[in-house]
Order: sequence, then structure tokens, then C-alpha cells
Amino acid sequence: MQALPQLVVSSLLLGGIYALIAVGLTLIFGVMRVVNFAHGEFLMLGMYLAFWAFTLWGLDPYVTLVVEVPLFFAAGLLTYALVVRGVIGASHNVQIFTTVGLSIVLQNLALVAWTGDFRFVRPWEASVVLHAGTAAFNVSQLIACAVAGVLTAGLVAFMKWTHTGRVMRATAQDRDAATLMGIDTDRVYRLTWAMGTAAVGAAGVLVAPLYSVYPTAGLQFVLLAYVVVVLGGLGDMLGALAGSLVVAAVEVAGSYLFGTAWKEVLYFVLFIAVLVLRPAGLFGQRGAEMLGA
Amino acid sequence: MLALEGVTKRFGGLTAVRGVDLRVERGDLVGVIGPNGAGKTTLFNLIAGFQRPDAGHVRLDGVDLAGQEPHTICRRGLTRTFQIVKPFGNLSVEDNVMIGALTRVASVRRARREAAAVLEACGLGPFRATRARALPIGLRKRLEVARALATGPRLLLLDEVLAGLNPAELGPMLDLIRRLHAEGLTLLVIEHIMAAIMRLAQRIVVLHHGEKIAEDVPAGIARDPRVIDAYLGEEFVLAPA
Amino acid sequence: MIGAGALRGRAPAALLFGAFALAPVVVRDAFFLDSLVLILMWGALSGAWNIAGGYAGQVSLGHAAFFGIGAYSAALLGTRWALSPWLGLAAGAVVSVLAGCVLGYLSNRLKGPYFALATIAFAQVLLIVASRWRGFTQGSEGIPVPFRPGLWTLGVDRRGWLYLALGLALTVYLVEVYLESSRIGYQLAGVREDEDAAEALGIATRRLRVWSISASAALTAVGGALWAQYVGFVDPFYVFSIDLSIRFALNAIIGGLATALGPFLGSLLITTLETSLRATFAGVRAGFTGVYLIVYGCLLIVVVRFAPDGLSGLAARRGRRDSSRARA
Repeated sequence: MQALPQLVVSSLLLGGIYALIAVGLTLIFGVMRVVNFAHGEFLMLGMYLAFWAFTLWGLDPYVTLVVEVPLFFAAGLLTYALVVRGVIGASHNVQIFTTVGLSIVLQNLALVAWTGDFRFVRPWEASVVLHAGTAAFNVSQLIACAVAGVLTAGLVAFMKWTHTGRVMRATAQDRDAATLMGIDTDRVYRLTWAMGTAAVGAAGVLVAPLYSVYPTAGLQFVLLAYVVVVLGGLGDMLGALAGSLVVAAVEVAGSYLFGTAWKEVLYFVLFIAVLVLRPAGLFGQRGAEMLGA
Repeated sequence: MLALEGVTKRFGGLTAVRGVDLRVERGDLVGVIGPNGAGKTTLFNLIAGFQRPDAGHVRLDGVDLAGQEPHTICRRGLTRTFQIVKPFGNLSVEDNVMIGALTRVASVRRARREAAAVLEACGLGPFRATRARALPIGLRKRLEVARALATGPRLLLLDEVLAGLNPAELGPMLDLIRRLHAEGLTLLVIEHIMAAIMRLAQRIVVLHHGEKIAEDVPAGIARDPRVIDAYLGEEFVLAPA
Repeated sequence: MIGAGALRGRAPAALLFGAFALAPVVVRDAFFLDSLVLILMWGALSGAWNIAGGYAGQVSLGHAAFFGIGAYSAALLGTRWALSPWLGLAAGAVVSVLAGCVLGYLSNRLKGPYFALATIAFAQVLLIVASRWRGFTQGSEGIPVPFRPGLWTLGVDRRGWLYLALGLALTVYLVEVYLESSRIGYQLAGVREDEDAAEALGIATRRLRVWSISASAALTAVGGALWAQYVGFVDPFYVFSIDLSIRFALNAIIGGLATALGPFLGSLLITTLETSLRATFAGVRAGFTGVYLIVYGCLLIVVVRFAPDGLSGLAARRGRRDSSRARA
């Protein structure tokens, strides 16, 4: 199996990136029980941020990251206040269409502002290739994965050990009980949404050198993120991490065996299979998907 | 009519219902009581087909109901209400009851007439055009019963229909149940309000931690030391130190 | 069947469809007639979506899957075996019913947003397969649909298309009316309001859901087949696109979910908006075609939050007592 080391390395690197995308979604979905169809658009906006920072000021994406976090955090607060807060308690359908509407607006703002042309962010690291044994990868991938890993670990630690994190987890478990305990759920949701948005924006900045940037780039990633979240068990951070690795491995192996064209079919089929066979995810508790539904 | 033999249901490590035997004959009015968490609603779920027993049998008119969907069981003549009422919120009271009637009747026009009759019988006539979600809890409970009645059941399972009613509403609901019984409907009633069920039921079954600990006429239940212990035990825990 | 009761309160619909029917007699302008065809087609497609998304309460964001199946059936049967598009239409409907059963099965296992996600995935799979399967579907190039004059080959002029579109629209409308006033319609309303309660009342909820989705799928496929013939070209990236799926839902939501006329009202508003915005910004900049979509998106957010019953609901609310369901 000559290709095995390469496949493993690629899976790990890809998995790290998917983890960052998914972790933001896990946060939002786990705590707020809102299916955010606009998640991919924030990723796309992160990619554009990286692009413009690079094109206009020659800023490396990893520098842009520093700007991105507070910027997208603020954007998250704004979208929460304008769009999301009003539909927190509403039916699933209302939430679906609200975030779908948001997704349409963001996609087309990008389209109108920056046209549908494919853009590219290619800093110097993107062309430097490293080797680990027989496996090859470029520095961009490595850095993306490393930063993703750090950010994800940071978020997980935050959720586990800080007071605010505990408050958020409590709200995720039982919204009503949390309110009765005096937790300001509105503040929790605002924070959650903003953090999730900042996280996925960061993912966008990090992956910009690895993919092309265009207004509808978000769609692919959002579906993938949902596959990860569902696979890992809703709201379960570590599950999402594991799920990312699984999805990455499936994608890498699938590309290798069937060619890149069919890999998308593969993870959609995986998605539907998981939804049907183990909707609580590989690691979630059976019936967890009914909680707060 | 309804026979439960050794019905058991486990949820992971918790046994919600353990080896319950129960017989309900035609024309009976049987009450089911027990402290919170005793397994009463789970029992209803098992009877009505919303959950499958892990052991034991539920038989309706001698036919084993195992594996049957709730809607099939309803068509066999067994209808249940829900402890936390489930009105069709965006539909009118009349439409709610019509949907029940349409299980028995094929024509929409006939269903509307049937529904009107049921609404009158339950005192919901004046509210027929009101959207169900606009109703206060007392009327919602009544709607829950009316809707179930419209399906024309032979055996009606009522799950805590008195809970949440104010004193003025209790009387009419009890009268309704008595009237239905007098007209020949067989009833299995879960209730928490002791005074009411003691006066209503011919026979009472007591569940505790999923087991049937007593079955007797109301007077016997009131004196049963096991029952007193089960209820008193709870009060003991809740009593201030 | 549809009794006298069902036709009460249908005057606005009669007026609207009547106006459409008379239009070609009164108006000659090609652009205007084209717009009418589009309004009717989008209305019909949204009405078909409404059967699953509105009446059955199963919000699908992958209905383009059925649309594409219909379009490809017509195109493939027409180009490969020179069969009439009517046959392609029928074939598309049949295949869609099967696909609809699959989705129906999923709908019984998955709650709201998960079902929506699964439908998106479903449509995406079809998109990828259609755009890559060079041997069968000519891959990403798409299939041009030949124009052969005559009704049997659906090669008709603009006026003919208007009446075809009107026919489809009326069919969908009547199915919706049936769903509102029939026994199945009431039961379906129960299922969408509260599934457990409906089940406890003797309604076969799962079966009913599968049927509604299959019916919705079949009608969408018919629309797709007609569309393929009208437009003359089947592009996999369009006919299976999520944008299309969202559009079906959008018209229905804005016009009024689970109302018969709602999807048509929504289509009237949105399609008019789209054509006028397109015309206004046509020369300005290529990217400006996105502007009307931004308006869509904002409209969707606002309507869904403040006017969940859509245009129909707004009309019904004015000066009417609290009635159970808005009729249009």
C-alpha cells in the first residue's frame, strides 16, 4: 500500500480543517438547536476576507486571522440581533427559512459586490511542499490544520472549563431549566452565535489558500459540516472532532479510489445513511436527536 | 375487553413498567393512580401502541396488539388522550374534532355533523370556530376528550384530564366522564387528583415504581397499607426538615 | 371529491386564472406573454411543492431533484428515442414517484431540519450524477431539447404555451383545493400539526406523508418536463440546483403555505419582481442579477417572521373573524 501514508496524512490534515468548520456549527446547533443554513456563507466571507487582505495589502492569511476573529464576532452579534434573535423560539420551518434567507442574502451580496469570478489566494506557503516519508503536503495545509487544531482545542477547553462554557452547555441541555436557574439565555445565544460565526470565518480564512474563492463556495462546506455534526453526535464537540476525521478519511479514500468527481456523492450518501441508521451519530446517545427537537 | 399480561418496559437501565397484569371488562370504569414516575403514562403508551413492551402481552378483545401501529389500534376501538394535551393548534375546535370523526366516517359533511354533536355533548359548542391554540387549558383538556370521543371508541384511555382544571371546571368534566360511562363507554383513567378518582372509579389500580401494588375498590385502596406507604413515602421525602 | 363546499371563497382564484386565460386575446406583447407563462409555471411548481411542504408540513429543500428528473426524462426520451415529450412527462412522473417514496421514507425517520438537509443532499447527488455521467446524460454539457412543431411534440407557439402552463397550474390548483376540503386534507392537516395526536386518532401518518410527497414529486416532475420543452435546454447545474429548490419553497411561503392560491400569488409577486429588476439592471453590470436575489432573501426573512401566513394570510386577516384556515 504505497499510497497509505499519503492518504493518512491527507486525512489528518483535512480532518483538522473540517473540524474547525464543524466545531462552529456544533456550537450553534448544540446550544441553540438552530439549523443554520447560512453557516457556509460565513465561511465564504472568511475566504473573501483572506483574499482581499492578501490582494490589497499582501497580508498572509494567518495574519488576517487576527483581524478576522473580532470582525466576525461582531458580525455574528449583528446578524444575531437582526435576524436570529426573533426566531429562536419559533418553529423549525421558520428557523430554516430565516437562515436560508440569510444565506441567499449573503451569497448574493458577495456576488454583486465581487462578481462570480473564481478568486485565488496563493501565498508563498501554498507552493512549498514538505515530505513525511512518502507523503507529500504543502505548508498551507499544515498551518491550516495546526491553527485549526489550536482553535478547536481552545473552544473545547473553553466549553469544558470556563464558567461561561458551562453556562452554555447547561443551556444546551435544557433551555427552560437554564432560564429558571437565572441564566440569561439571550446572552448565551448571542455569545454562541458570535463564537460560531467567528470560528467558521476563521476556517474560511485558513482554507482560502487551499480552494478557490467564489460566492457559492459555502454550500459544499456547509453540507459537509452537517455530515460531520450529525456523524459526531449533535452538540458533542469531541464527537465532531472524531466525525471530521471520519469524513476526511472517507473523502480522501474516496477520491483515491473513485476519483475526485465522485467523492461528493460519497459523503452525501454517507450523510443520508447516517441520518437513517444512526441519527444520534456514531458517538451520540440514542435518542439524543429527539432532545429539544 | 382489554387484557394486560406481565407487561414490562425498560429504558436502558430503568424499568418503567414491570410485570403489570390488568383486565378491563366492557363497561368498566377503572382508575390508575400512583406517585409521579410510577409508569402510568408509559403503560398507556404501551397499550395504545406508541411503545412496544419488552415482555408480556397487550390484548384487545383477545387479539394481541404487538407490533401494531397506534392508528390501527385506534381503528380497533381504543383511543387515548395525552397527559400534555396536543391540540391541532392552528385549526379550529370544530376542525380538531372533525379530524377525529373522519377516522370513523368517510364523508366530510357527515363528519362535521358528528363533530357538532360531540362538541355539544362536551360543552364546546360556543367555541367551535375558535382556533385551538387560543383556548385556555381547561377548554383544551375538554377538546382533547372531545376529539378522542369523535373517533367512536369502545375503550377510552384518559390521561390526567383533570389536571390543571380549576374547581369550576372539575365538576363538568367529572359529569362528562360519568355520562360517557353511563352511556356504555369503557374507560381507563389515569388520575392524580385523589378525591375525584376515588369517587369516579369502580375499581382502582395502583402503580408504584412500575409495579402494580394494589387493585381494589376505592374504599379498599384508601385503607391499603402498601398504598399509603407508597404515597406517604413520597410526602416524607418532600416534608421540610 | 370536490364538493360545493370546496368552491366557496374561490372567487379570487377564478378571477386570476380567468385573467390569465384571456390575456393572449387582449395582449400581443411577446415579453408580457412570456412572463405570464413563467408566472404560471413557477406558480404550479411551487404549488406542487406546497403539497409536501405546506399541506404535509414536510419542508423539502431538494425538490429540484424531481424537477430535474422530469426535465431529463423528457429530454432523454425525446433525443435518444425520439419519443413524444408527453411520454417523457409520464416517465418522469413515474420515476419521481419512486424517488418521492424514498424521500417519504426519510421524512418518517427525520425531523424537520434534518429532513431538509437530507433533501438537499439528495438533490446534490442527482446533480453530480447527471453532470458527470457522460454516457447517459451527456454530462455537464446538458441536453438540448429539439423543437418539433405540433401538440404531440409540444412544439407550440407562445399562446399554446400559455394555455399549457395554465393547464398545469389549474391541475395543481385543483389538487390543492382537494387537499383543503377532503377527508385526506383534514387528516393531513392533523399530521402536520401534531403527528402523535394524529396517530392516536387513527390516522396512518406515515403512509399519508409518503403519498403527499410522492404526489408532490410527480407534479414537480411534470412541471420539469414541460419546462425542458419550453426552454429547449436541460442543464444539470440548473435543473438540480438548490437555488431552484429554494425558489419553489419561496413562492409558496410568501404567498401562503398550505393555501391553494398562495403559491400563485407568491409567484406573481416574485416573478414580476424578478423580471422587472432584471430589466432595470440589465445594462448596469453583470453581477447585478444578484440584486433581486438579495431582495428575495430579505423578503423571505421578513415574511417568515412577521407574516408567516404569507400574502394569503394577510388578505384573510383583514376584517375577518378568527377562522380556522385561510382559504383562497
